[in-house]
Amino acid sequence: MNPAVFEIGKFARLTVIWLSIIFGAVWAACWAVGVFAPALINASGMPTETASLASEVLRALVPVVAVAVFIPINAMFMVLCERRALALFTVRKGPNRVGPDGLLQTAADAVKLLFKEDITPHGADAVMFTAAPIIFFAPSIIGVLPLLAAASGNHELFRSVNLPTGIFYVLAIASIPVVGIVMGGWASNNKYSLVGALRSAAQAISYEIPLVLSIVAVCLMAGTLDVVKIADQQKDSLLSWNIFGGGALLPYVNLVVAGLQGNNEQVQAIMQHFQAQPLGPFAAVLMVVCCIIFFGIYITGACAEVNRIPFDLPEAESELVSGYNTEYSGIKFAIFFLAEFTNLFVVCSIASIMFLGGGHAPLPGLEQGFTEMLGGILKQLPGSKEIFSPGWLINSLVNPSTVSQAFWIILKTYSLVIFAILIRATLPRFRIDQLMAFGWKRLIPLSLILLIALTYLRELV
Amino acid sequence: MAPEKIEALTSTRLKTDEMIINMGPQHPATHGVLRLLLTLDGEFVKHVEPVVGHLHRAQEWQGQNRTWFQYQALIDRVDYLSGMFTSWAMARAAEKVDGCQVPLRGEYMRVIVSEMNRITSHLLWLGTYGIDLGAMFGFPFYPFREREKLLDLLEAISGQRMMFNYIRIGGVQSEAPPGWFAKVSEFVKEFPDRVDEYEAILTNNPIFIKRTKGVGILKKQLALDYGVTGPSLRASGVPLDLRKTKPYSVYDRLKFEVPIHEGDGDTFDRYVLRVKEMRESNEILRQCLEQIPGGTADELRERRKACNSCGKADCSNCGGDLMIMAKKQNAGLRIKAGEGFDAIESPRGILGCYIISTGGDTAYRFKWRNPSFCNLAALPDLLIDHPIADIMAIFGSIDVILPDVDR
Amino acid sequence: MFGLVGRAVESLYYVCVGLWTVAKHTGRAPITKEFPDTMPDLPGAFRGRLALAVNPETSEHLCISCRQCERVCPDKCIDITAHKSPETGKLELIDFKIDHGLCMFCGLCTEVCPTTCIINTNDFEMSDYSREALIYDLKKLTLTQDESAHYFSKKYLPIPKPKPKPAPKPAAAAAKPADGVAAPAKPAPPAAKPAEGAAAAKSAPAATDKPAGDAAATKPTAEKKADDSKDSEKEKAAPEPSAAEGKAEPDKTEG
Repeated sequence: MNPAVFEIGKFARLTVIWLSIIFGAVWAACWAVGVFAPALINASGMPTETASLASEVLRALVPVVAVAVFIPINAMFMVLCERRALALFTVRKGPNRVGPDGLLQTAADAVKLLFKEDITPHGADAVMFTAAPIIFFAPSIIGVLPLLAAASGNHELFRSVNLPTGIFYVLAIASIPVVGIVMGGWASNNKYSLVGALRSAAQAISYEIPLVLSIVAVCLMAGTLDVVKIADQQKDSLLSWNIFGGGALLPYVNLVVAGLQGNNEQVQAIMQHFQAQPLGPFAAVLMVVCCIIFFGIYITGACAEVNRIPFDLPEAESELVSGYNTEYSGIKFAIFFLAEFTNLFVVCSIASIMFLGGGHAPLPGLEQGFTEMLGGILKQLPGSKEIFSPGWLINSLVNPSTVSQAFWIILKTYSLVIFAILIRATLPRFRIDQLMAFGWKRLIPLSLILLIALTYLRELV
Repeated sequence: MAPEKIEALTSTRLKTDEMIINMGPQHPATHGVLRLLLTLDGEFVKHVEPVVGHLHRAQEWQGQNRTWFQYQALIDRVDYLSGMFTSWAMARAAEKVDGCQVPLRGEYMRVIVSEMNRITSHLLWLGTYGIDLGAMFGFPFYPFREREKLLDLLEAISGQRMMFNYIRIGGVQSEAPPGWFAKVSEFVKEFPDRVDEYEAILTNNPIFIKRTKGVGILKKQLALDYGVTGPSLRASGVPLDLRKTKPYSVYDRLKFEVPIHEGDGDTFDRYVLRVKEMRESNEILRQCLEQIPGGTADELRERRKACNSCGKADCSNCGGDLMIMAKKQNAGLRIKAGEGFDAIESPRGILGCYIISTGGDTAYRFKWRNPSFCNLAALPDLLIDHPIADIMAIFGSIDVILPDVDR
Repeated sequence: MFGLVGRAVESLYYVCVGLWTVAKHTGRAPITKEFPDTMPDLPGAFRGRLALAVNPETSEHLCISCRQCERVCPDKCIDITAHKSPETGKLELIDFKIDHGLCMFCGLCTEVCPTTCIINTNDFEMSDYSREALIYDLKKLTLTQDESAHYFSKKYLPIPKPKPKPAPKPAAAAAKPADGVAAPAKPAPPAAKPAEGAAAAKSAPAATDKPAGDAAATKPTAEKKADDSKDSEKEKAAPEPSAAEGKAEPDKTEG
């Protein structure tokens, strides 16, 4: 077999294995806490009030458990995924020694980092120095919560974290880590760290604006800040995704489809609708263009937000040694590392929820067909009503619609992650003044103009 | 109010304290052990003081205390990325003093291996320049992939990947192993496509252009004043290439262009020029493989079966142009008394060697003219008023090898 | 304004070209060489660990103790102990030491060697726990007949002619203890290694009928450091004991 195909196959296998482990573990933990434990309590013959209180408490814990299980394993996988993908792009093999085919490489790295000496440099502000990684890391944990609801298709276990202003909350939380970076850079008592930290602050402030504006554009089209609702609005097909104008093109496609099918009544109905909006087709196309550009702006801003190449100035190795984390070692460095990758995952999942239709399949019917098929199989199981029977266990464990949604959102998010890795493999780094100029003179005016345009276009469609 | 005070108050720029930063010798990006004493105003460089000498190994003194034969093996270490050139410079100077004539095939072999070496040197520069500019996770591997192929070939002919010890006083050390020429021509065929790939990634990349265009402008006059040579000088528009202006060896028999960039002499020009030079070197390689007397080593071996590789100077299969070595290589290698200087065009510029011999097996005096050292002299002028981030872009672009600076 | 848009589109285009070029590489076979699993295919000219070859046909040791390599070595890492044999009047090798910690693998010694005895092998894995372990002595340096044949063919070296006088040697070895007594007495210089001094008389064919176990018994006392190195070293040394053992025999016979 062609060795290149072989390598890609190995990469795919590794990804599938790791992702099944991650999401299987997360879901198993959630199920154990949110479904199985309450069922046990109910069956144990406790007084009803105590039992229901206990179940409530356990259910409320589910999102926390999910995040706590998810983040460390996921970051581990992402490091491995990044290294293997970079190896693929650069005709190498990547880490393939630890565990079967390198599966356990980052686990070994994590263990190594845990056992390394934790050094506090001479003259450093010890309290700040220790607090910095925590402040850097904490937001990525609490920021994920509302996304859980959207990603799981508003599963009942995660409904408690479905805030009406979800995306607002996520963005607010996502701008906290920069405080951690500045603290770390300042507390290190190292000039390079300080320069890196200040650069990071400047960069985060300037790139947050286009990032937020592009999210605002999506909220404008959706008319809500609720991530679950935004995701639900894009469920019809590829064309109703926000990156393609949130359904602006749908009537026209329907028209073409109806015309091809020779369905005259429908054609007439749609034509009548168009006569009310003569500029409609033109506006719809423009709106799609606007949305695609907004997606580009979001990706750019997100890269800057999580300090990825080409915006990785805070840790520019060739200038600043390693930027704000130069002086960190051991577990503190590991936390910085962990948080960086979690942040990347968070921005990618925001993008896939806001722009790429969340957990919904790109083609109509795919999701429904799958759900019905799986649901049919599950119904066949014996004793599905009886508590603790195998049928009950499997039925409560596997929810067809959640499985489908989880599959698609994982696919979309990791595609974006791999795209970020591809960018990392290609582009050089900006210079700090160019970065600022690009942010303030190009991206912000562009996103403002597009936002205004979008407001009008939305009325015209 | 005193005028200077008014000046200070109305000045458009806020006066802040200057910060002194020690960049190197252990900074990850200084390509070795250069120490730059930077005085910064904010992020801008106000004053630079390069501190060299951390890698001083007394190469000239060692040359005076070792025999010619021993020193040949040592001299590759001066500029470790282009060992062929240091050997060649010394060999040429010694041959000039000695008056020995290198056979034509030996000269062609020298050109072939040293042009290969020039490509490896530029490839390494290209990869590390990508790292300097932050393209550090994907791009550098591509030039290194091709470099690896060339190093394998050079290893096959000389025995080591970087410390070749192949070009000797009087010729080259050995004939190529079987199949070597075929592999070289295979490489020559595919190499231009690879260069196209590098260019597709970097040359038109908007970020790369922003980082390099108009940065570190080396004016023609300044370059000449500092004695800058090599690609850095040619990027400033001075057509000085010893291969063309004062053809040595067999360069006068080869058709090639010396790329000259009529730009400002900024870092982008230096990048473009080196990439062009790689293509030219590849072209030279192709021509040499066609022109070399005796053809490939395999053909020559076939011919030599007739005379059983007699090695006699008047043999039509072994002697004359088809020899590769004119002087007997042994521990007692001697150079006639006299003194002489000769220079060649190394990947970094003019590499000269001055020799005084008293006729013994040891040199009386060695003096090296190392291009890196002279090119580094222009660095402080280039860095002034550039931000920290540009230091590496500029320093990388003049392609300095620290062992070559410190010797 | 349009210029700006044009520039933006152009930039985006070139970024995409770059991304595509990188992404295309996914479809190429990896160039990684998985080193410890698959050894690199080194060319014959590769300058690795130094070793002393024996004649691939007759297995006689090729060194003639001419000390050319010792003289030419820029690092002075070669140390040869030899003495003039009283009965043949020829130089006989007693010990040959190369400090691989000093060696810079320039290959000059292999070039000056008149009998192509000292050669650069393709072995480059010599790491050890101490600097002393990097000083290889005659036993560790000498290659077996098979290895010599391998390197002679790989480096396209002509097979050397057997040494001119094979006849006097058996005579010398068989030649009574009287000579044997004189031989160990003379090499006074290696005082630090008296046991090795015993490994004097070169390639005595008579020694082949001696049981190999005997040689193995005498060797460990000679130098302990050889033992903690690789097993393969022992294998290399094993078929070669004739040189080391040639001396041991006269000693025994007379004691």
